[in-house]
Amino acid sequence: MRPIISIASTTLGEAIRRKVLLIILLIGILFLVIAPGLGVLSARSETTVLRGMLLGVIQLTSAVIAVVLTVYMIPNEIERRTIYTILSKPVQRWQFLVGKYLGAVLSLGLMMVLMTTVMAFTFYLQQRDFTAVPELVKAPVMYFVQMSLLAALAVFFSTFVAPLVNFFLSGGMYILGSLFNPFFQTLDQSPTTPLGAKIAAKLVNVILPNFANYNVQNPIINPGQSIANEGAYYFQVSVYGLFYIGILLVGGILVFDRREV
Amino acid sequence: MAAAIETTKLTKGYKSRIHGTVNVVDKLDLHVEEGEIFGFLGPNGAGKTTTIKMLLGIIYPTSGEGYVLGKEIGDMDVHRLISYVPERPYYYEYMTGMELLKFYGSLFGITDVKKFEALLEKVNLHRDASKTISQYSKGMQQRVGLAQSLLNDPKLLFLDEPTGGLDPIAHREIRDLILSFRDEGRTVFISSHELSEVELICDRVAIINRGVIERQGKLSDLLSGGRVEISAEGVPTQFISDMKINDANVRAIPGGVLLDMPEEADITAVIDAVRAQKGKLLSIVPRKKRLEDLFVETVRDKSVAPAAAKKTLTVESGDKP
Repeated sequence: MRPIISIASTTLGEAIRRKVLLIILLIGILFLVIAPGLGVLSARSETTVLRGMLLGVIQLTSAVIAVVLTVYMIPNEIERRTIYTILSKPVQRWQFLVGKYLGAVLSLGLMMVLMTTVMAFTFYLQQRDFTAVPELVKAPVMYFVQMSLLAALAVFFSTFVAPLVNFFLSGGMYILGSLFNPFFQTLDQSPTTPLGAKIAAKLVNVILPNFANYNVQNPIINPGQSIANEGAYYFQVSVYGLFYIGILLVGGILVFDRREV
Repeated sequence: MAAAIETTKLTKGYKSRIHGTVNVVDKLDLHVEEGEIFGFLGPNGAGKTTTIKMLLGIIYPTSGEGYVLGKEIGDMDVHRLISYVPERPYYYEYMTGMELLKFYGSLFGITDVKKFEALLEKVNLHRDASKTISQYSKGMQQRVGLAQSLLNDPKLLFLDEPTGGLDPIAHREIRDLILSFRDEGRTVFISSHELSEVELICDRVAIINRGVIERQGKLSDLLSGGRVEISAEGVPTQFISDMKINDANVRAIPGGVLLDMPEEADITAVIDAVRAQKGKLLSIVPRKKRLEDLFVETVRDKSVAPAAAKKTLTVESGDKP
């Protein structure tokens, strides 16, 4: 366990010093700060627009950070040869991979906490209503699970594809899993869907991580909507996320274990 | 003496679309004894780093077998007893020297700050312990690398080009450290291009070329068989040539003749012959064989056709007797 913690904390130390990540984070924070001013561009209720924009900025910024942070993580260690000094010590490859992943998730969590804090302050200063803040914070918590899943996907791909390919592969799967998964689900469940299309939809549903599970912003943005049995839903999708992360990490370990570095 | 490293027909091949399977290391039989400094030499792309990576268990051999400290390569128990400093190492630049040792120490479960301080002192970095790695010079980075490699008190150290790109002072410091490792009873496996450095510190060497071990043995044995240069005047070149000394070169020089021959050849016979010809002996200069000569000879021999490489008595100048 000790090597995993050491590798994770080193990964965190590196991540919070990576200029590219800090720039993305700063841009995200800047958009969070100016979001109230952008509300005038929409004809909808000011609170609805503000909530939507704040959550949208956090989700988008976190997704970019998650991908940029993880796609270069393993290849950089190989290119700079730091991996050799680590793997020549009593560190198993799985410990290295899990440590790197946990470090990435920690970094991501830290950056998301920072953005969420800025979001909460911005919302409070604009609305002068602190009671709505805890409700608003629920979405970033779910986004964190979503981003941890995205990070696991990128770490899995990073064990066998180049960073640029990984960037598009992970990003593409995130967009597909976020936007089209509900469509595939509907296709799968509809009685009028032809059998071939149904099988294909089911297959996509099983293989593709369902990132849409964590897009819980609608009930938060629109007070009229709600998730039935919210607690159970959050628990269920979190377990789904952890399960999927586990599968991706095991897959990554199996590939990385035989990989020539 | 027990073997620190023993390989038998260790091979690493890569599949190539054009050339089929290419063996970058081919049937490597290596023997490194405990407590010695072993030089692993070869030109670029000879297979040195690939061999080290196989011995460390970072890459997997295609065939053959290898043992490090008596255990099969890749055995995790061995990793507690060995260390590795790669060529041009990169360490996390934001860390200080002390933090770096703490990080690598934690991989072994070592948390003793006094030990870290002692190691930094050993590599003469104790005054720079709080500087970040990005502030370290190349030589300092190499020294902190050596410090991290000593954390687990290793029995066997793998050093890949330990003095590459360093200035003469840093060279000297690293060399002294390596020699101190041997004094402490450690085995040191050095892959290097710095032949003069290797010649100074290594007990035994192996020369690898195109993945194949060409020579291996004690440095003193491999460098035996130096040459002697005898110059004389008043003796016809052809007369010396006619003596048929094996592996000798005879050539005319202004005012005389120069004979270059193996040191084990009969020097007295040549001196007697010069005297018999009423010639005058100008000089007898013994030339010790250097590692560089051996290396160039070994590596170049492989690229020269055998017939051309075969050494025979030759007359290089058409000096008429």
